[in-house]
Order: sequence, then C-alpha cells, then structure tokens
Amino acid sequence: MSMPTVLIIDDEVEFASTLCQRLKLRGMATVDVHSGVEGLDALKKMNPDIIILDLKMPDMSGLDVLEKIKELDSTIEVIMLTGHGSAGSGVEAKKRGAFAYVMKPLDIAELMAIIESAHKKRGKG
Amino acid sequence: MSRHRHWLEKLIPAPKTNDDYGCNITREYRRFSRGLSIILLILVLAPLTLVSVLAHYQYENLLQEEEQDQLVLNLEEAQLTIEHYVSELQSVIQFVARDDRYEELLDPKKLEALFVRLKSEYPGFADIEVIDSNGRQKTYFGNYSLGEQDYSNQIWYKKVMLQGLYISSVFSGFRDVPHFVIAVSRKHPEKEDLWVLRVTIDGKTLQHFIDTIRTSYSDDMFLVDSEGITTTQPLKYGKIGEICIFHRIAGEEEKTFVSKMSSGITIVKKTVGNQKVNHAVASLVNAPWKLVLIKEQYLHASSWTQFKIKLITMFLTCVVIAIFVIIEISTAITTHLRVSDKKRQQLYSEAEHSNKLASIGRLAAGVAHEINNPLSIINQKTGLVQDFMEFSGDFEHKEAMAEALAGIQSSINRCKTITHRLLGFARHTDVETEELDVNSLLREVIDFLAREATYNQIRIDFDLDLDVGKIMSDRGPLQQVFLNITNNAIDAIGDHGTIVLSSRKVDQKSILIKIADDGPGMSTEVQERIFEPFFTTKETGKGTGLGLSITYGLVRKLGGDIKVISELGEGTTFKITLPVQQSE
Repeated sequence: MSMPTVLIIDDEVEFASTLCQRLKLRGMATVDVHSGVEGLDALKKMNPDIIILDLKMPDMSGLDVLEKIKELDSTIEVIMLTGHGSAGSGVEAKKRGAFAYVMKPLDIAELMAIIESAHKKRGKG
Repeated sequence: MSRHRHWLEKLIPAPKTNDDYGCNITREYRRFSRGLSIILLILVLAPLTLVSVLAHYQYENLLQEEEQDQLVLNLEEAQLTIEHYVSELQSVIQFVARDDRYEELLDPKKLEALFVRLKSEYPGFADIEVIDSNGRQKTYFGNYSLGEQDYSNQIWYKKVMLQGLYISSVFSGFRDVPHFVIAVSRKHPEKEDLWVLRVTIDGKTLQHFIDTIRTSYSDDMFLVDSEGITTTQPLKYGKIGEICIFHRIAGEEEKTFVSKMSSGITIVKKTVGNQKVNHAVASLVNAPWKLVLIKEQYLHASSWTQFKIKLITMFLTCVVIAIFVIIEISTAITTHLRVSDKKRQQLYSEAEHSNKLASIGRLAAGVAHEINNPLSIINQKTGLVQDFMEFSGDFEHKEAMAEALAGIQSSINRCKTITHRLLGFARHTDVETEELDVNSLLREVIDFLAREATYNQIRIDFDLDLDVGKIMSDRGPLQQVFLNITNNAIDAIGDHGTIVLSSRKVDQKSILIKIADDGPGMSTEVQERIFEPFFTTKETGKGTGLGLSITYGLVRKLGGDIKVISELGEGTTFKITLPVQQSE
C-alpha cells in the first residue's frame, strides 16, 4: 500500500506545519501552504492525492477553494477542517464534493483513519 | 397643573416596583390604596354632606314658613269668625234698640218679652236694661238685679253716649261672674236726649265659642283684653282673669302679617319652660279683645326630631356603605395594579434573562472560537511530541514524559468538549425544518435512555395527546433538547423515581411538551440561574453547566420557549412550548 501525498491548506501556520510534520512522521509526502491561492498553485505543481482544507481562511473561503479544486481535478479527495463544529458547513462541504469533515482540535488517529479511507476510495490505497 | 399633580402624587404615591416583593413594597401599595380611598371618600362624602346639610336647612326654612303661613291662616279664620259673631250680636242689639222703642222698653213686661225672645235665639244673654240720658237705669230684666244703678260716671257710659256703640272687655263687675257688655245709644223720640240699651252677655258664651273654633291645629287659643288679661280659659297656658303668661315673656323674630281680611297678625317665637312655641296674636276690629293662638314650633316637636333622627340615620348608613364600597374598590384596584405590576416585572425579568443569556451565548461563542485555534495548535504540538517519542528509542524519563503528555492531551480533550458545546450553544446555523411527529420523537429519544433508566430503577411514563399531530421543526436540535432534559431528570432522581413525558396541543399555533420528574426539586435561586451557561449543581468535573443553556438556545432557535417549575422535595417540570409552523 503506497502512502498518499497530502496537501494541507490552512491559514494557521503553526497548526499546518505541525500537522504536516506529524503526517510526514507517518510516512506521507506532505506539503503545507497557508492560503487558498497558494493551495491552488501547489495543487498544480505537486498533484496530491488528498487535500486537507480549512473551511475558514482570510483570502478565500474553504468552500470556494473546494470548488476550484474539484474543477481542476475532481478525483482529488478533500478533507475539510472546521473550527466551528458546524454541522451545517460540514454538510454543505460534503454536498460540494468533500470526502469528509473533521472538527478542530483534531484527533490524529481519527484523521489517519479518514485519510486511509479516502486513499482507498481514490483507488491507490 | 404641575402643582396639582405634585399634590395628588403626595396623596396617592405611585407604588415603586422592583424585584423585591418584600414588606416595603407591600407598604407602598398600602399607601397607594389608602391615598386612593381618601380621595374617593372626599369625592363622594363632601358633596353628599354638603347636599344633605343644605337640603336640611332649606327644608327647615321652608317648614318654618309653611308653619307660619298655616298659623296665620288658622288665626285669621278664627278672628273672622269671632268678629262675625260679635258683629251679629251688635246688629241684633242695634236692631231691637230702634229709636222709637224707648217708651215700649220702659215697660218691664215688654222688656221681659223682648229678653225672652232674644234669649231663645242667643242663650248667652244674661240681662238687659234700658238707661236714660242721665245714666240712670230705667228698666232691667235679668238674674242680677242690683237695684237702680247710676252709670253716669262710668267710662263705658260716656263712651257709648259718644260713640253710639260700646263693647266691653270681659269682667266680673257687680255680678261677680265673667261677662261682657254690648251697649248701644239711641236718640229719644221726643227729646234731643240719648237713651241706652245695654245687654250683658255671659262670659261662658265667649268661652263656648272659642272652644268651638279652637281647631286641632292650634295647641291653645284664647282671648285677652287690651291689658293682656285672659278673658277665656286657656287650655294649657295660664288661667282666666290672670295676665296672660306670654305677655311677660320676651320673644324673638317678631313677624307681622297683614292681609285684606285681617287688621294684622303678629307671630313671635317664645319659650315656655322647655317648650318653644309660636305666639300669634290678632286684634279684633269690633271688640277690645285680642285673639291669641299658641302652637308648638314644629322644628322643636318630637315628630321633627324623629324625622331628623331618620334623616341622620340614613345619611350615616350612606356614609358607611360608601366607605365600605370605596375601601373594597381601592383594594380591588390596588390588587389589580399589583398583579399587573408583578406580571410586567416578571415579563421584564424574563426578557432581561433571555437577553442576558443571548449575550453570554455570543460572548461564549466568541471566546470558544478564539480558544479553539490555539487549542488546536497545542493539540497538534502535543501530538507531534508524542509522535517523536513514539518514533525514537528509549531515553531517561520517557515514561514520565509520556504520562505528562497524556495528561495534557486529556485536558485538551476536556477543553475541546467545552468549546464544542459552547459553539453549539450559540451557533448561527439555519434551522432545517421537516415534518415531525413529536410523540414518536419523544419515544425515540427515550429509547436511548431506557437502559440507563431501568438500571437506576426509574420508570418512564408517557401521557401523549394524539391530537398534537405533526409540527414543522428541526429533528436534530429537538432530539438534543428532549435528550438533555430527560438525561438531567435521570441524574436528578438518582434512583427510584418516575419521569412523565406528556404532550398537549395548546392551540392551532403551538404545542406543549412537559417533562416532569419526582426528584428532589430545586430552590428558587437555582431555578433562576438554571439556563445560565456554566451554572451547574453537579459535582465539579461531572457537569459542564452547558447542557441546559444549550437546550435553552436550541428551543429559542426553534421558535419555542422553555420554562422550569420546581419545588424542593416535590420534583421538577420542564415546559417546552413549540410552534406548529416555523416562522419565516
């Protein structure tokens, strides 16, 4: 089973970099960027399997970024991160094609399980 | 105007209202009630008293006038009757003493015959005599023959010679019985001299006459002569032949009434002993007598006193009734005011409470959101350290460090629960409505808790109204509401108890859900704070104090209302009102 490449898009630098490190420790090729625009650029360069995307960012909302990602490559699985715990936003994101949503502060085990199933769905896991 | 208002406010102070319904407030309302009563009493009693007093005096004056009019009328009538009688006697005597009868009357037999004829008509005639121009008695017929009398020096004789007619006072004279005299003088048929026919009339005749005309209206009626000596026997006041007792008594308010019929009537108020009387006097035109009528003043008679007592009793009864009614009205108004004040205060407190809860909610959400981000970082950093430890070999204190990190992680999880709940309490998501059967939803929720309840030997009963039907609401939040309250009820009971869930249709627009337990209940203080975030009665660490505030927020978001009714030792009931339709 190959490890997925993961792109983390979150404006909270400390959070994104730490999560990036942790995923790297678990053997995943991971890159973290800190805005929607940077995220879309990185997507074109690295072609990730899975994107972990924050719902609330200052430049573009997570849902807009999600839409763009899906326009560029609909096969990429996106896991939404939300600080609100809002079922409404999560449901909306899922309607727009997100694989799942995870509430902050997140549990690494839970996230790993979701990444694994997303990777499986993509057919690489 | 403002001064009036100030004056009125002093008398009827507006009760101050605040949250404390203690004795001070009761006193305020009592003062208000008292002020109101006083104003109403003045408004009612002042005109009542004024009208009563004025009416009384007016009526009294009217009565007095009426009484005096009546007195004048009666006396006038009596006066005319006596005058008529006297003038009749006078006419008879003048008739029999025709000028040419002088010689005839000198014959004692003819005089006797005349006397007998006259006596048959007027039984009061006592004697008759003819007197010549020298004042000597020529003939006499009667019971009191005193021999030949010489009247030439007597005043009456002089008067009759001068005036042609004389009527005397009542006197005893030679006869020693009361009598009066009517004498007429006539011209001698042959000489130029005058002769006199004198008739003595028994005083009893006059007495009899007075007794006849004395009406029930008068208390007493009698004749007095020009000297004030009573010439007929009064019924009550004095004796015949004595100075009339009223002659000596000074009176007050003298009034004279003059009419076409009489020469003038004088009415004077006088007091005899304890009795106040009207003393009315009328002079007779054709006799030297005065007719006196005595009548007790009506205003001092017992019938007037009785009438006054009745009047005062009625007035006092009205006053008592007015006082009673006014006090009742004031109390009713005050009670009404107090109840509405209390209701308004409660509404105000409720509005304030929900406002406070909303503010706290917003604040809590803000805080939670702000804390959530650093919390995520701490979480990740802790996780990263844990990862490093996991992927590196053994080192000194590794185990202790791992333990410390697990402690941090556990605290992070606790904070996470709190922030999530806080965010849930205040989140601004739209309500997703669907058609729901509330009764089924209640049963579904209880299915979750049935095991725990059974374990604690708590019975859960349903009292569901089938008419409740379906409502438009959001399933998730509603489930959470029922779950939270029922869960709290189970916690409150501990073990052995009953929870009753009931539903009822209030009207076309709303339904009511009641969740009642027979647990220990709560104090008023706890009830007031029960929906505040972080307020908990559970042991530290066991409850976040957010369950009911979240519930409150959810119910409000669904357009409903939640209330708690509880009494210590009796149990607690949560009443949830929900709209049948969600408003736009």
